[in-house]
Amino acid sequence: MKRLKLLPALALIAGLAVSIGTTSAYAQTTLRVFSGGANQRPDLMRKLFDQYQAANPGVKIEIETGGATSELQRQYLSTVLNAKDSAIDIYMIDIVNPAQYFGAGWLEPLNAYVGSPADAMKPYLPVYLQSNVVDGKVAAMPGFADAMFMYYRKDLLEKYKIAEPKTWDELAAASKKIQAGEGNPNLQGLSIQGAPIEGAVCTFLLPYWSQGKEFNDASGKLTLDKAAAVKGLNQWLSMVDAGVIKRNVAEVKTPDTVNEFKAGQVIFAINWGFAWDRFRMDKDSTVQGKVGVMPLPAMAGGKSATCVGGWQWAVSAFSKNKAEAAKLVKFMATPATSKFLAVEGSLLPTIQSVYVDADVVKSVPRFKDAANVVIAGRAARCPGLRAGQRRGPDDDERRARAHQEARRGRG
Amino acid sequence: MAGRTMIERLRDPSEKSLGVLLLAPAFLLLLLIVVYPIATLIFNSFFDMRLSGGSGGFKFVGVENYLLVLKDPDFWNATGNTVLITLVTVPGALVVGLGLALLANLPFKRQWPVRLALLLPWALPLAFAGLIFAWFFHTEYGVVNDVVRRVWPGSEPTMWLLRPNWAFAAICLTIVWKTSSFMALILLAGLQMIPKSLYEAAEVDGASRWQQFWQITIPMLMPSIIVALIFRTITALQTFDIPYTMTKGGPGNATETLAMLIHKTTIDYLDVGYGSTLAVFMFLLSLVVTGVYLKRIGRNA
Amino acid sequence: MTIPQGKGLIVLAAAIVVVNGFFPAVWILLTSLKSEAELVSKPITWWPHDPTLANYVQAFTDQPLLRYLGNSFAVAVLSTILSLFVASLAAYAIARLNLRHRRLILTCIVASSMFPLVTLLVPIFQTMRALNLLNTYTALVLPYTVLNLPVCTLVLVSFFQSIPKDLENAAMIDGCTRLGALWRVVVPLAAPGVFTAGILAFVNAWDEFLLALSLNASASMRTLPVGITLYQGEFTFPWPIISAALVVAIVPVAVLIAVFQERVVGGLTQGGPEGLTARGA
Repeated sequence: MKRLKLLPALALIAGLAVSIGTTSAYAQTTLRVFSGGANQRPDLMRKLFDQYQAANPGVKIEIETGGATSELQRQYLSTVLNAKDSAIDIYMIDIVNPAQYFGAGWLEPLNAYVGSPADAMKPYLPVYLQSNVVDGKVAAMPGFADAMFMYYRKDLLEKYKIAEPKTWDELAAASKKIQAGEGNPNLQGLSIQGAPIEGAVCTFLLPYWSQGKEFNDASGKLTLDKAAAVKGLNQWLSMVDAGVIKRNVAEVKTPDTVNEFKAGQVIFAINWGFAWDRFRMDKDSTVQGKVGVMPLPAMAGGKSATCVGGWQWAVSAFSKNKAEAAKLVKFMATPATSKFLAVEGSLLPTIQSVYVDADVVKSVPRFKDAANVVIAGRAARCPGLRAGQRRGPDDDERRARAHQEARRGRG
Repeated sequence: MAGRTMIERLRDPSEKSLGVLLLAPAFLLLLLIVVYPIATLIFNSFFDMRLSGGSGGFKFVGVENYLLVLKDPDFWNATGNTVLITLVTVPGALVVGLGLALLANLPFKRQWPVRLALLLPWALPLAFAGLIFAWFFHTEYGVVNDVVRRVWPGSEPTMWLLRPNWAFAAICLTIVWKTSSFMALILLAGLQMIPKSLYEAAEVDGASRWQQFWQITIPMLMPSIIVALIFRTITALQTFDIPYTMTKGGPGNATETLAMLIHKTTIDYLDVGYGSTLAVFMFLLSLVVTGVYLKRIGRNA
Repeated sequence: MTIPQGKGLIVLAAAIVVVNGFFPAVWILLTSLKSEAELVSKPITWWPHDPTLANYVQAFTDQPLLRYLGNSFAVAVLSTILSLFVASLAAYAIARLNLRHRRLILTCIVASSMFPLVTLLVPIFQTMRALNLLNTYTALVLPYTVLNLPVCTLVLVSFFQSIPKDLENAAMIDGCTRLGALWRVVVPLAAPGVFTAGILAFVNAWDEFLLALSLNASASMRTLPVGITLYQGEFTFPWPIISAALVVAIVPVAVLIAVFQERVVGGLTQGGPEGLTARGA
């Protein structure tokens, strides 16, 4: 094995000698960027990289795509990073991952390149200070945001003269009234995702957060208020019992909600930002022109809160071009980039000021209202469910899992 | 035999050197691909390697991981599920596979439908077989409930994959469906090796078909049956894809298998040391079960 | 052999087997002709009410499906050939030679498949990187061969053992060397076993996901199972398009293994062990 490992090393030295001999004007750096699957829009990222290459002639950027879902990406990345692979310099990662990957020593702290956490995170939505800063170190920079929105059938609410509900109970009452009036057994009041997918953690936390409770403290530690969690869970369960949410909610995944809403089978739907264009523009959507967006309802006495997701840029701790990589990451987190992604791809900005930018408002008018929803948003850093340690099941994990089970057990 | 030339020795090597020669490619490949990973795995199982635990993730802990495994209720739950899946699906696949093989071996006028039916489940990529069956068992969009609805109109649809026992049954059914092809393939080949003269002789002696089956087919097929059982058992103990794609181990962890627990521990929790220890336990389980079968093979040889 | 008595029952059993085997594939075929909107109609539809080939067009334009297909074929064929070659040598040694630790050797080979792949992934990745093989066919062919070695060896051992030794001796008296006897007598006589091992090796390699995801991550070297997952997204799962891709993936494999399987069942019409047994005895 040792001899075999030597061979590439020798080749590398030989290659270096040759390149030192021939390089004249500037050193050419090639940065390899892992930029997720199709939903993370590698096509738009490529355009941005082309801009960057034009401005920095010494840098060449290659994209590696892979793993269509966050789950498959984690599978791939944990192999590559665990093997301390230096082939990829920059990773685009899901919002739930910076803390875990940084803890594993896989990400390069960016403080030296972007400044102190407080300064670096100032322009961004508050949620990123919480998710991207770990132990006083900047683990990743925000790429683009995503958030859960409450979509609803404007036409039906108008028909029954119902105002946008402010609490979950009002929403349930409104649903019952419309369901009874329409007499369609396939019409669901509220569609949420209960299947064991990434977003299910959000579904579980929405009624919890909307009581004004926090899931993580500033340092990322789990601060689950058990009574509030049970109350939140019971909110969903009571809506299942009342026929507002369908019985097999634990089977519902993100595309199910989208397709059922498009087919006119749903009054209220909680889903990610991309769904808006699907409802409005898909050829097979039966609800074009009938869709509204509103802030998520709260628990009585609480305040509206949503779940914020999104994708972050991080520099590999094993990269051989960390300085150049950090420069590119900085570029990918600028307001200009955020604006480009908003205008070209309707991707939610990570920076508050971009939401009210004139060009952005012109091309994506809904972002003006979205700003308020997103600023009040939270991110689940889920140490108990994902990022923590498994060895010797700790209390946090057991508690979190007990709730998951309770939720699924009722189905 | 000092007088033999090099070429003569190569052309007709001694029993022992021929053995080394013939086994060398296999062992070189094993050495290159799996010996190092397996050694790494066993090594890691003695370390605290919680990569994201902040502890830096590398501390020698002796057999602590092993003791923790024995006290881990998740381990026992997953082992129980795995053993149960093995006990249900291995005999299940054997019976179905044997039936398939016997049918495929009959001289039908049109053989291709049976032959292709035997192969199709095997050709369907494993990662998608689970997704397709999960869809069949879906409460609203599944074929199963659609058939139930047609037979008993007005009945409340069953939520197959959300009820622990039904979910377990659905998973076992899917595994049997997918793996009986493997059984059938090996058994079908075994059937070809049974000399027809044996049946002819039995016919002359007036043995019934049933007697021929038990007294000729089954005993002559035994080596193939054991080979098929060994691998079906090893793969059953490693069951991952089908429950992972159908239920993700749910509801709760009612259908979580050992391989899924290992996957979750290493990929989601990044606890490499503990994951390795779990893998060693899985290995021991496989070794014990397979040892019983292999003894049988040794005896036959 | 003739179809035994109780013909009706046998035909019924065959019909059940055929429906059972075909149903999921037929369902996928039907789905590939539907629109995504049709999938949420309640109650569900069986026949597509507005059949379309658009999903096939999209399956080929969204992803380089033919490229994935080609990669999968190359990897599966190469690893099948290598597995059969290596396994038949090893199996012959175990089945026929007078070696002392035969059972131990066999156990070692079989035991290599008893660890879950996910725990071996990182070191295998490191080995392939050290050999500079990542994103090559070899990166998958070598591990797939090793994964297939246990099943191929064991199948071949059991088939080699069932061939009478006398035949081999006869061949050697006729002037064959030992290895010559292996290739000219033992392997051809064990043809059903060899083809069966080949089919198993081929499909295992064709199916494999985890190694393919990590070792051949670049788009041009991707294999089919990994490629098909890319039709879905974080928030989307377009069953009709995925079904179309699956149909494209299943058909060639089914045809190929059906052809091979003909050899399993039809390969021994001439001669066969019993004829030779008679001669040997």
